Amino acid sequence: MILFYVLIFPGFLFCFIAGLLLAGIDRKLVARMQRRIGPPILQPMYDFFKLLGKETIVPRAASRKTFLIASTIGLASLVATALFIPIAGFSAFAGVADIIVILYLLTIPAVSLILGGAASGSPYAGVGISREMVALMSYELPLVIILLSIGKAVGNAMGGGITFSFTEICAYQMSFGPIISKWSMIPAAIAMLFVIPCEIGSRPFDIAEAETEICEGPLVEYSGTPLAVFNLNHAIKMFIMTALFTSLFLGGFSTGIFALDVLIFFVICVAITVISITLLRAVTARLKVEQVFKFYWSVVSGLAVLSLILVWLGL
Amino acid sequence: MIQHFPILAIMVLFLGAFLTVLCGKNKVLRNIVVFAAMLASSVFIAFLIKPIMIDGEVITYWLGNWSPVADYAIGICLVVDQLNLFFAILVSVAVLLAGVFSFKYMSRDDTLEKYFTLFLMLSGGVMGLVLSGDLFNMFIMVEILTFAAVALTAFRNRSEGALEAAFKYLVIGVIGSSCILIGTTILYSQFHTLNLAQLSVLLHNNLQPATILAFTLLLTGFAVKAFVVPFHPVEADANAAAPSSVSVIISCVLTKAGIYGIIRIVYFLFRSMNLAPLQFILVLIGTLSMFIGVTMALAQKDFKRLLAFHSISQVGYVMTAIGLATALGVTGGLYHAINHTLFKGLLFLCAGAVFYATGTTNLDKLGGLAKRMPQTAALFLIGAFSISGLPPFNGFVSKWLIYQATYEKAVEFGNIGYAFVTIIALVVSVMTLASFIKVSQSVFFGQLPDEFKEVRETPVPMRIPMWIMAALCVGAGLLPQYMMRYLINPAVYAVMNVGNYIGSVMGPGYAEKIAGQTVEAYSSEFALAGYWSPISWLALFAIIICAFFIVSLSGGKLSKKIHSDSPSGLDPKYDTFFSGEANEHSQVGGSDLFWGFKHNLRHYFDFMHNAHSGVISDYALWAFCFLSFMIVYLFIIV
Amino acid sequence: MSTSEVNGLIIVNYIGSVFLIAIGFYTMMAKKNIMKIVIGMGIVDYGINLLIVSVGFNPGGTAPIFTINELDPGTFFVDPVPQALTLTSIVIGACVTALALSLVIKIKQEYGTLDAGQIRRLRG
Repeated sequence: MILFYVLIFPGFLFCFIAGLLLAGIDRKLVARMQRRIGPPILQPMYDFFKLLGKETIVPRAASRKTFLIASTIGLASLVATALFIPIAGFSAFAGVADIIVILYLLTIPAVSLILGGAASGSPYAGVGISREMVALMSYELPLVIILLSIGKAVGNAMGGGITFSFTEICAYQMSFGPIISKWSMIPAAIAMLFVIPCEIGSRPFDIAEAETEICEGPLVEYSGTPLAVFNLNHAIKMFIMTALFTSLFLGGFSTGIFALDVLIFFVICVAITVISITLLRAVTARLKVEQVFKFYWSVVSGLAVLSLILVWLGL
Repeated sequence: MIQHFPILAIMVLFLGAFLTVLCGKNKVLRNIVVFAAMLASSVFIAFLIKPIMIDGEVITYWLGNWSPVADYAIGICLVVDQLNLFFAILVSVAVLLAGVFSFKYMSRDDTLEKYFTLFLMLSGGVMGLVLSGDLFNMFIMVEILTFAAVALTAFRNRSEGALEAAFKYLVIGVIGSSCILIGTTILYSQFHTLNLAQLSVLLHNNLQPATILAFTLLLTGFAVKAFVVPFHPVEADANAAAPSSVSVIISCVLTKAGIYGIIRIVYFLFRSMNLAPLQFILVLIGTLSMFIGVTMALAQKDFKRLLAFHSISQVGYVMTAIGLATALGVTGGLYHAINHTLFKGLLFLCAGAVFYATGTTNLDKLGGLAKRMPQTAALFLIGAFSISGLPPFNGFVSKWLIYQATYEKAVEFGNIGYAFVTIIALVVSVMTLASFIKVSQSVFFGQLPDEFKEVRETPVPMRIPMWIMAALCVGAGLLPQYMMRYLINPAVYAVMNVGNYIGSVMGPGYAEKIAGQTVEAYSSEFALAGYWSPISWLALFAIIICAFFIVSLSGGKLSKKIHSDSPSGLDPKYDTFFSGEANEHSQVGGSDLFWGFKHNLRHYFDFMHNAHSGVISDYALWAFCFLSFMIVYLFIIV
Repeated sequence: MSTSEVNGLIIVNYIGSVFLIAIGFYTMMAKKNIMKIVIGMGIVDYGINLLIVSVGFNPGGTAPIFTINELDPGTFFVDPVPQALTLTSIVIGACVTALALSLVIKIKQEYGTLDAGQIRRLRG
């Protein structure tokens, strides 16, 4: 049974399809917003399979094993994360402290990107991984605060001071309605909407893979299968982050038919993608590294802390 | 027979030190003596595990058989209860592995008999500190280990900054020892006894101004030994200058000895941890250490100095956890103490291996060593992931416990300050990860400078202790149930319930004088601790990774190796895509990383760099400001 | 001197020792010449030794040196334990001074100066 969860739903196959679909929809919509026609929605899938057939070139200056393994580490952790997030109320592995587990697991894909870049042996990759690390440091703080405030809010209502368990959060949303309807959590929701593009690495926060500045950053030396897996990681991460937002803030609905729930869940994920990723990507330019850091540690963290204080005061 | 093991464990180390002086010139004999001494000491400690940890006894050994007379302790005693044994295990493991490492590592230096003598004296001093039950005995052992550590810091006295680091260490160390001695004197003048158990009973509910002063002085003295803020710059200097095997001892073992002293003082001797302001100040010191340690580490250019600042940060974690005064907090703190010894030891040994191979620890000059030293790189990555707290390594377990402890304390007391401590702890964890990514990029990945093209992999005698430590790291992360059951839970129980100790030392009648209630140790089943068994995780990971390994590697293996037709690979234009300029070596590492972060916090960093000025008088000044502040503070709150 | 005068005078010891410790600490803090810092460490040690010995004082007591025959209940002597502690502490002080002075000699050879403001290659 576990194998089914890991490989089919909500594991690898489901993430694969959902992630690449989201990536495709995002590209199409960006193109339309920029008055172009854009690629077909299934284009990322075509890209993935095309890359699988290309030759993998390992640079002489690279550390070979790390170079090749780095992408799979990211993929493994992303699939593991998907097993913890309740997709339409169903999560494969429920525990007492899923939120902290997810927090940890979400740092691993960034680390895998960094490892891959570090192993490339290229100076552009070196700059890229440094920026990726700065991005990681920037968004980690508000993410932590948001998760803590949600845990406290749910814990307040359900008795017991704090909860870290996703099942409790879903149960809370079933009985009380989506968390975003509490006005004290709205700053946290806005903060989370800002955290999503930075975590995924899309404009204006894509300092790590800045194509025009540092030639694709950590991925500069990659080709063939590892590159395909890295692109897949990027797409799945889009899905994971929007799914996280949906299940944390917008849960609590249920039509009784599981497949329909999953479909509605996916549609909401698309909506979130449009709001937080696509819109920003289409209209903004890239920020500088120190601007990203300052933005996250002042504005976004400030919003999250506001929510935390409001929740703490019992509102 | 087993009664004698504590004293034997200490004396065999000192005996080894003296024998090393005698047979110093003969290299093989000296190595055998040193190894035998360390191994014998570890074996004695290992034999003590069963009766103490598992059966719950407390072994008391009165030196010279001077047992207490008429409820009055007249002799010097060694007491081994679970907390002592916990720290003794920690010490003996670290000493053994660092000692074995130093056989090969120091083989290029001369006058090694002095090195090993001092090394054994250092180990003997620490072992004596953690096993002794008498306050003045603790002071003597603290002095012994300070001397040995200072002398060992200055051992390579031609290397950059070794002498000044040793001098600064000596001055600050003397300040700490003097504080301990004055505190001991004051306590003696009030109660005319130096025995910890008896003092604990006599001090119960008996706090007068003199004893409060003694408390402050003892606490400050041990805080100096533990190198928390504001005494930390000395540790950074000392660790950077000392040989790496000694750095392991200084940053892993001596700091833990200081933590042990603090636990004894606060929990056992004065039993005042139920005072909320005291918890607050300990947590505050710990949090400051965490944050300052990691931010300073991000700006360093020297490998070992960076590791030393991380030491300070991790000791901050331990202080914070211990300052919480909840069973879960102490559990997290003790677990993190032993984890820190393991992974920081591993990291320092890797730094030593790099120094042995290349001769430098400057991050701006190193690079790309993973191709020449792959095993060292792998070991370093294990250590780096452990310290950042990534599963399934041991750092994750203990940091998890600490986060949970701080957050639960925040909820329990309705005090949002502790929630901020959790947040700071998590952010510091991420910054630790950042710092180690920087180090691994600067040292192991990236481009290999020309002068290091011929370095060889670490020699096997040096690799064995590193592998053992890595295995322990992974083991402690995968099997936390065993660690908790056999090591941590008994120690926490001993911290929280003092009756056992006192009854064993002074005789059973004494225990009636203790009026306090015993606190149940946090018998943590892991459902409460909140993450399910890491073995399942690892299996999950393994399944997923195996499933995709084939796909990923098939792309790599089947490809041919293409050799570009560059003349002997010296022309860097063909190494990676370059902007077409000629040959500047272009390793991006060291100070080039994290520019955005450093730019934003540049005011903070300027302040900090100026504050860590390197002038010894400044450091002494900070020490006294801290001391005076603590005196005033503690007088106010008690 | 009569007993009561000696009783009162012991307070001088305490004040003296605190004074010495304070001077020693001040020297370590404020002086830049590392020889003076070493001297300051020594002064702190002497102050603490004085403090320990004074703690053991019992007014009217004699020196605690007896053979086993002379010892009977009712002999009143000063506390011997602090004297033992002081001996240990004096030895430790001597060792610390020796180590510190040897380091000062080597620092002077290496750095050419005794000014703590110049001996700061490890900083930041």
